[in-house]
Amino acid sequence: MKSRSMRFVQGAAVASTLAASIFTFVGGSAVANAASKKYTVAYVVGAASDPFFLSMRVGATAEANKLGISLVWQGNPSVYSAATQIPIVQNLLATKPNALVLAPTDTKALQPLVAQYVAKKIPVFNVDSGDANQANITSWVTGNNVQGGQAAADALASAMGYAKNCSASNKCVVAIGVSSITTSTDAARLKGFAQELKAKYPNIKALNPIVSNSQPTVASSGFKQALAANKVSGIFAIDGTDLEGASQAIVASGAAGKNIKVVGYDAYATTIASMKAGKISAIISQQPALEGKDIIDAVYAKLTGKGGIKHLNTLANIVLTPANCAKLCSTYVYKTA
Amino acid sequence: MSSEKEPILELRHISKSYGSVRALSDVSFKAYAGEVIGLVGDNGAGKSSLIKTISGVHSPDEGEIFVDGVQRHWKSPHDSMAAGIETLYQDSGLAPDLTIGANIFLGREVKRRGPLGRLGFLDQRAMERRALVELDKVGITVPPSKRTVSQLSGGQRQAVAIGRAVMWAKHVIILDEPTNHLGARQSQEVLKVIRAAREQGICVLFISHTLPHVLEVTDRIIVLRLGRVVRDSLTTDYTVESLLGTITGLNT
Amino acid sequence: MVTSPLRRVLGLFANQQFILLLVLVAVMVYFDVHNGRFFSVAEFQNLVVDLSAAALVAVAELFVIVSGGIDLSVGSTIAVSGVIGAQAIVHLQSHHFGELPSLLVGTIVCTGVGGVVGALNAVLITKANLVPFVATLVTLSAGAGLALFFSQGAQIGYDPVAATWSSTGFWIFTWQALIVLVIVGVLGLVLHFTSYGRYNYAIGSNPFAARAAGINVNRHVASVYVMSGMLAGLTGMFFYIRIGGGAPQTGIGTELEAIAAVVIGGASLVGGVGLISGTILGVAILTVVTDGLVFINVSTYWNQVVVAGFIAVAAILQTVSPGTRKR
Repeated sequence: MKSRSMRFVQGAAVASTLAASIFTFVGGSAVANAASKKYTVAYVVGAASDPFFLSMRVGATAEANKLGISLVWQGNPSVYSAATQIPIVQNLLATKPNALVLAPTDTKALQPLVAQYVAKKIPVFNVDSGDANQANITSWVTGNNVQGGQAAADALASAMGYAKNCSASNKCVVAIGVSSITTSTDAARLKGFAQELKAKYPNIKALNPIVSNSQPTVASSGFKQALAANKVSGIFAIDGTDLEGASQAIVASGAAGKNIKVVGYDAYATTIASMKAGKISAIISQQPALEGKDIIDAVYAKLTGKGGIKHLNTLANIVLTPANCAKLCSTYVYKTA
Repeated sequence: MSSEKEPILELRHISKSYGSVRALSDVSFKAYAGEVIGLVGDNGAGKSSLIKTISGVHSPDEGEIFVDGVQRHWKSPHDSMAAGIETLYQDSGLAPDLTIGANIFLGREVKRRGPLGRLGFLDQRAMERRALVELDKVGITVPPSKRTVSQLSGGQRQAVAIGRAVMWAKHVIILDEPTNHLGARQSQEVLKVIRAAREQGICVLFISHTLPHVLEVTDRIIVLRLGRVVRDSLTTDYTVESLLGTITGLNT
Repeated sequence: MVTSPLRRVLGLFANQQFILLLVLVAVMVYFDVHNGRFFSVAEFQNLVVDLSAAALVAVAELFVIVSGGIDLSVGSTIAVSGVIGAQAIVHLQSHHFGELPSLLVGTIVCTGVGGVVGALNAVLITKANLVPFVATLVTLSAGAGLALFFSQGAQIGYDPVAATWSSTGFWIFTWQALIVLVIVGVLGLVLHFTSYGRYNYAIGSNPFAARAAGINVNRHVASVYVMSGMLAGLTGMFFYIRIGGGAPQTGIGTELEAIAAVVIGGASLVGGVGLISGTILGVAILTVVTDGLVFINVSTYWNQVVVAGFIAVAAILQTVSPGTRKR
């Protein structure tokens, strides 16, 4: 039998070798090309594995390479929360980047850290989501989520044939799927959608949102419940994972699902395929790659003093439909590599 | 019963060290069928090392073990069990969430006849029935029910555990502190089962700190001190005082 | 012994399984009163689909919990096996494999990946002597990370043909549900009527006694975790079929639902106690509540609160019920 201390020494050796090799494996690629570039910019996103941010990375990286900027790309792999984002931003401060690009996961929680950056004369930029107080922010590039929600309502009402099919005595019922009500982008889209229904489509009744926690299977199960319980004629899915779940619920409902119209966010390769197959009526596409490119341009302008900087740069959402897909889909699909 | 001359278990010159600590040195004794032997000693005297050697948890550095006249080398506790030696450790006991029958047959389950049995299906009814019969043989009466062992009293539980060992032991059962944590009446139940085991011609090695129990139930007492056998005499040769003195080494 | 009819009826109420059944029926009636479409073939189809998706991991968790352990990694295992299985299917279909053969290969891949995760748990527990909670916490994290790594965050595959199969079958039983029914039935027989099941209870009840009785405890425990992983992997394949692809977020949190179902079903978290019928009732109650709240248009946020209530009530029932052990 091995002695206790022997076991401990062995265990410690295995553990430290393992830890060292993990760091080499994960860290190696990020560190490699940092040396030669003129500027180093820290770029912290909400959830690094979200195709939206992956696509943003494609746009930002291409622009940064062109301008001789080295990007330090960070973000919790999958959890979109201030609790996981704050330590990342805090640690990057010690590396003294030339600028920080931040997609804050909370409108207020990141502000004290942003102030610390500004105090050290490191300019801070917002991308996608923004801080509530923009005084310390040099520039903010974002999609217009309220407008996106409104556009979704318009697209859905038109797909459902609102004028013909919905009336005060026979209201049309719409199911809504969200990933999380507390995320600023989801909340804004929901707000825009509700505002538009109230203003233009009083004969549409919206059910309580189904919360999927970004799991397509949970969304699909929830939508199926809504379809079985109510005479649903439309679905609004707030992001790509919910849209995947919605299109699946339609497929699974067979004949009953044929007349249900689905509109939702995010031009993933999978959701575009679903639209081509006739399961989705319209996709609200953001322009993450362009957001990434524009914010890098703003950073470059600030660091070099060349060119003007717009403080708020709002990019339009693109409504993809089967009619314009042949022309637009290949341009706006979120390219993740 | 086998001949009085032929020991059922014999240890010759057993020594065992853990690193620099000599746990057993030159331990020899003979044990006969139908005999209850007390194994006593202070903490660290080598009692548990000796039990583990006999039951095959580890092998001795030197010395030989004979069971029923045949020399044995244990590679694992399975080997000693196969040779007819059952050991009841303090912490092993029974599985409280299983029924009495399931405990008695644990590890030796009776399978159903036919193809289902070959797939591992159990004949639960046969096991429950046989368990009651076998326990009755050693004087343990438990109600026939599907109750779990956890619903028995501490004494009943220990009695069932010993009954289980008696049932499966061909030659020797080793009982490590079986009356620990038991009240007076519950201890008597346990001692009763030990006597019943003796009637069946089984050799019982009884390890205990409770000297009155040892003096009450055993035929012979072996005293260990610092890894050596210091005295091996009939129980009638001891008094509580002399036994205590031998254990502590204050009088010999 | 003679039991009067009154006593027999009272005895039923003391039986936790019977109480669970009453609760299940009551909850379903409640939903139907609020929305008369609840008792319908369409809704029961939905319930059966969701029930069968949750049942395999719950039963796997029951085996693990009865053996005295816990498996926190099943959720991640669903994700990582679904993603890798989806990649295999995509690869095969790009080489003009038919739908059915590629799904069959995908099923083998998913189950295999799950088995590998389970084997990793088994090694950490039986060789490295980690407590199951820590060992499976390690694989929970690693699995979630690997699922993201292999998928780069996005759903793998787009397979609408497979997705249609998730709702085809016989009356309210989808193909998936029938497969689950067979597996759960077999596992129920194994747990309650074979020596393997008997050893599972013995090890969870008193591992020292089990070892002393000659049971190879480590080998048994290892097999339980491998089985748990394989069932989670198979569930990953079921989820692939449901959404027509493998997504890295799939299954996250499933482990807690499975543990909740096992606890509601009357099993003891310290091991040695638990019935497969209780676990299935536990899964049924959780599924009906989760689905029913959406059905009657209650905000999903209440879901977790209601589930918490059921767990608390079940735990209290367990401490007062006469048939169960108190430690």
